[in-house]
Amino acid sequence: MVVDELDALREKFEGCTAVAFADLSTKMILVTDSSSNLRREALDALCEEAALLLGANGKPALADKPSGMASVASTSQLRVFLRAENEPNDVLCCICGPKMDADRFVADACACLDRISSGE
Amino acid sequence: MSELNALAQKLAVLSAREVMDETGARMISEGGSPSPVAAILREVDDTVLERCLAFRCGGKSIRIIAAGRRMRGILSVSPKSDADVIGQVLSREDPDVVQAAHDLLEELCGKAENMTVRSLPSEPFGNSGERGVSALGLAELWDVALAEMDSTPKPPMEQFLTVNAPAFSSVLHICDGEIVAKEGDFAALQAIWSTQVEAFREAHKKTLRGEEAAQLICLDGAFDDGNSAALALYDGHVALIAYEAERFGAMQASWQRIFA
Repeated sequence: MVVDELDALREKFEGCTAVAFADLSTKMILVTDSSSNLRREALDALCEEAALLLGANGKPALADKPSGMASVASTSQLRVFLRAENEPNDVLCCICGPKMDADRFVADACACLDRISSGE
Repeated sequence: MSELNALAQKLAVLSAREVMDETGARMISEGGSPSPVAAILREVDDTVLERCLAFRCGGKSIRIIAAGRRMRGILSVSPKSDADVIGQVLSREDPDVVQAAHDLLEELCGKAENMTVRSLPSEPFGNSGERGVSALGLAELWDVALAEMDSTPKPPMEQFLTVNAPAFSSVLHICDGEIVAKEGDFAALQAIWSTQVEAFREAHKKTLRGEEAAQLICLDGAFDDGNSAALALYDGHVALIAYEAERFGAMQASWQRIFA
């Protein structure tokens, strides 16, 4: 189940505070991890941010082409947005603490999204 | 330099933000700035009570005994070396040993991108009367720029851009609307700056709940040539960057070290 995948990713990374699976075509969060306590407005904002950064409708946020992975680091958070390779509307939105090992997290989050998107 | 100036500079350094890596060691050289040997001498110059300074860079380590703002000598290095200078107390009366110490440090860390230090309890080394050579004296003998040693910390955005320069193929740094620096093929970045950035920032602000003072926005593979795009924002500074995707993690880590 999707929620089990999201829970497993969140549990593996101590600094990860929320993981959500979304559909870019409808700009809706479909599933969150079971510990997430984000309100509806926060989830909507997260999905809006994913749509902007990953370039919904094929429009790049910046530069030449839409990205498969985008991130926003602030002083308090690292937000990571990933798009499934074979299903461009399937995206993962993740909220992490600032001290996250970004490379390791992105690698695991990509694998998680691939499993969800391919229905494994 | 007068003693008062030296004291003022020490106080400035001590009051500056400590930049720690994930192991708790203090980052003293990033992106080769200051040069690793200058960073070592700066640490020696800051050491009054006898300590073992353990430096690490790129899988190599150097342990130096320092006291009274003087380098007494190199205690050990890793990977192991059979250099005669290891274990010898430095003395101006033996310039060959002083030069050998410099050569060994250059060989081990001269080209290191990053260097950290830990200050550990001292270990037995030479005779207590053998005081070594002062850091300032070594800087003179080794031709390490004093200005480099005396430099006060750079502003955060400048630090970030300097540290990560090897990862960037081009950069456009703008402060309060004025271009303050440009590197590489910045024409493409200038086009993005004039046609896309403002609209993007407006759209992005609408998705944020509350203003975020410093932000690093990364867009993987956003350029046709395969490079990724980043927008770094801090206090009136905007840097538009084209970077190599494989440096993403290192950029994130240094952003957090500098801004968080």
